[in-house]
Amino acid sequence: MKITLTVNGEAYPLDVEPRRILADVLREDCRLTGTHLGCEHGICGACTVLVDGEAVRSCLMFAVQCDGSSVRTVEGLAGPDGEPHPLQRAFSAEHALQCGFCTPGFLMVAAGALEADPAIGDSPERVDGLVGSNICRCTGYEPIRRAILRAAREQTEGERDGGNR
Amino acid sequence: MEQWTRREDRRLLTGQGRYVADIAVPDCLDAVFVRSGVGHGTLRAVDCTAARAVPGVVGAWSAADLSELPAVPYTLLARLSNEESVAGREWPALVKDRVRYAGEAVAVVLGEDRYRAEDGAAEVFCHVDPLPAMVTPSAAADDSVRLFDGLSNIAFRGEAGKPVEESVWREAAAVVEGRYRQQLLMPTPMECRTILAVPEGDRLTVWSGHQMPHRLRRELAALLGWSVDRVRVVVPDTGGAFGSKSATFPEFVVVAFLAVKLGRPVRWIEDRLESMLVATRGRGQDQRVRLAADADGRLLGYELTIEADVGAYPHLGVGLPMQTAWLATGPYTTPQAYATVRSVLTNTMLTYPYRGAGRPEATIALERAMDVMARRLGLDPAELRRRNFIPPESFPYRTPTGRCYDSGNYAAALDLALETLEYDGWRAEQARRRTDPGALPLGIGLSCYVERSGGEAGGLHEFGSVEVGEDGTVTARCGAAPSGQGHETVFAALVAGTLGVAEERVRLVEGDTDEQPEGLGSFASRSAQVVGALLQHVSRRLIDEARERAARLWELPVDEVQWSGGIVHAAEDGSAAIGVADLVKVTGPLRVEDRFESGMAFPFGSHAVVAEVDPELGTVRLLRVVTVDDCGVVLNPTIVRGQAFGSAVQGIGQALYEGMTYDDQGVPVLASGLLDYLLPTFTEVPPIEVKDTCTPSPATPLGAKGAGESGCIGTPAAIVNAVADALRIADPDLLQMPLTPDVVWRAARAPKHEEEVR
Ligand code: FES
Ligand code: FES
Repeated sequence: MKITLTVNGEAYPLDVEPRRILADVLREDCRLTGTHLGCEHGICGACTVLVDGEAVRSCLMFAVQCDGSSVRTVEGLAGPDGEPHPLQRAFSAEHALQCGFCTPGFLMVAAGALEADPAIGDSPERVDGLVGSNICRCTGYEPIRRAILRAAREQTEGERDGGNR
Repeated sequence: MEQWTRREDRRLLTGQGRYVADIAVPDCLDAVFVRSGVGHGTLRAVDCTAARAVPGVVGAWSAADLSELPAVPYTLLARLSNEESVAGREWPALVKDRVRYAGEAVAVVLGEDRYRAEDGAAEVFCHVDPLPAMVTPSAAADDSVRLFDGLSNIAFRGEAGKPVEESVWREAAAVVEGRYRQQLLMPTPMECRTILAVPEGDRLTVWSGHQMPHRLRRELAALLGWSVDRVRVVVPDTGGAFGSKSATFPEFVVVAFLAVKLGRPVRWIEDRLESMLVATRGRGQDQRVRLAADADGRLLGYELTIEADVGAYPHLGVGLPMQTAWLATGPYTTPQAYATVRSVLTNTMLTYPYRGAGRPEATIALERAMDVMARRLGLDPAELRRRNFIPPESFPYRTPTGRCYDSGNYAAALDLALETLEYDGWRAEQARRRTDPGALPLGIGLSCYVERSGGEAGGLHEFGSVEVGEDGTVTARCGAAPSGQGHETVFAALVAGTLGVAEERVRLVEGDTDEQPEGLGSFASRSAQVVGALLQHVSRRLIDEARERAARLWELPVDEVQWSGGIVHAAEDGSAAIGVADLVKVTGPLRVEDRFESGMAFPFGSHAVVAEVDPELGTVRLLRVVTVDDCGVVLNPTIVRGQAFGSAVQGIGQALYEGMTYDDQGVPVLASGLLDYLLPTFTEVPPIEVKDTCTPSPATPLGAKGAGESGCIGTPAAIVNAVADALRIADPDLLQMPLTPDVVWRAARAPKHEEEVR
């Protein structure tokens, strides 16, 4: 089936079998291997990407369902000049990754939430909910929580400063 | 680099990491295994004909189709297995005639991609006549059904220490007994197992997320009948391992064999459902303990009897429970101690090291018994422990079960744990709640442990080198293979610090057997301790070599030549000076390589937990967890604390949530997949405070001991002790891990022990 995926702003005209899951198509057909598969049945969240701004588990979605949609993966987080996303900086600063396998999923869950509601840092319990949606076996999660809060606060502070100027 | 805390972070945070499944190789085939649906049975027929006709399938084979397929190797490393236990018990890479665990592979299908290979696998016909599945050691031990005809299911017996004299039990003021189950756990790194085998000319390059690339190379070469130099193993980014990725697994044997046979790249990327069936598990012991003390609480004797569930084949972990036996007496002086092991084959996947690997089992048995003893004697559990600690001046200390502890200050760790927890305050709160009928019961649990790091005799060394290029860059190489521990950051900093040069100048190369021809790998918490010491050692030798060269150049005695910050200069007047890069230009390549051997090290610590129990719901709420670990000299405190924290969360998993159960057919009961195996998520993470003390190890000049396994070792017993303390049940054996609401609810209804004064 012929579809067009827009991934990180770039159009990928593809011919894919309807049964192929989005994660496999991103990884194998688009060669964007930053999206990882930790369970392939919707539990771990390692495969999380944004489809039209919503966080989805790309192991539970067929690529053909995303025809015409805009997909964002970890490769598309950094700015156009390569400037890291505040979440990427915060994850590093807080040691929110060890092996890094779960990391793209957490980054994308957080990126989706942060974009939907830049003030999420003001409600720590919502950040807790985000962290609780994926599995990490290395860090014990607390550093991930701190990283998301840090990025969120940095963003709101940045905006407040910008507004005051 | 300043915006990235670790060197690894840039690529791992931007999607540029490279794990095995990310590597694209032209013409690569995907392997999918057809697996047995029962745990024990006679294989009557496998027919791959229909599979071969499926579009995109390149081949499909059963054992009968591949008569040359080698068997799975066993390991003598760390006495994990031995010749005697494997004699007569072949582990075929594909089942030949008898299925011995659920999920054991009966056929393999190669397809142009994973979808095609799975299409093919669905068409393989296979018939197994079920036999009674022996899924627990107690069921298997009587040999009523044998896994190997003519051979006992008891595949190994071992002991440590000497039998405790009868008089000790007779004359002791108190003797306590307990039975503890160390349930089977799934290590569950987020990346499952991976292998990609690429034939090139007369060589094979193998990519694998692995902890011991040189072992994998050696074992694969041996089974192909090749010399080791024809196999190259490369470990790219690896998504966690926790001990579970250091063997040559049956699937690896098949993939390497077929890649060579077909002359085509083949890969196997294990999926999670497969992993839950056939990845190695950890723990798996049924224990009985007996502990004797005098009226003052001084320990007199300890006996630990281990019945271990080692799974279907003895090849990887039949001797692993000896790790528990050798460490039976923990941090205490115990005049007489005796630990025995009986390893029983069962119709389940194999037991193999999982973070802690034998030490959690030792700690949990002893520390639970210590709490029972404290209650029996009416002593504060902290006080009982303090009275029995091996004193700091007694090191090196030889234990009755055969270990020689290098260094320790156990009381210091306990004191810090109690102080951090605010022990006295919680005891007061506990007393208050006991008088308040409306309050939920609260318990405080302690656990003091000693573990072992570095490896076993014969495996305490590592290989590596340091080299300076003409541009002044330093390349360090070693045989380690990380899976999230930040080696590139930590070891580069260590080498830079030793040489006195900027960190940016140093680059670490590891996990590639062509780059580093000899090596052991990353296991037994050994990398900082052994590899760190090695890199420090070769860096110092490089300094000496540079000084000697400069001395010859300048015709000076070598002791008049000094090294500082990458520059060699004459000590006297400083007139002669040469940068090491120029020295290389003048005198030729400068490279020092060596083998370095460490002693065993014995990290230790004290963990303390406050738990609140709801007797109506059976739920356990951890109000506070304090971990105090001592792993000697720490190379990077943030990284070590991060590992301690993550490890504690895995320990919480063992205590409260995780456990593998098997049905009567020997099939894991995991109908909803990973959702049924209760890994801790963020919701289950209590407030954890991670602290440390520092008692350097004399085992190497660096003084580092192993880190990272502490939480799995120390935390579970503290949690169970806290729950037992809260419930005050007369028979603590009712609390067997995981402490699910069901277990706790039942225990809460059991008779309480007598009220005692504390
Ligand atoms: S891989 Fe998609 S949720 Fe685990
Ligand atoms: S960093 Fe390894 S699983 Fe999260």
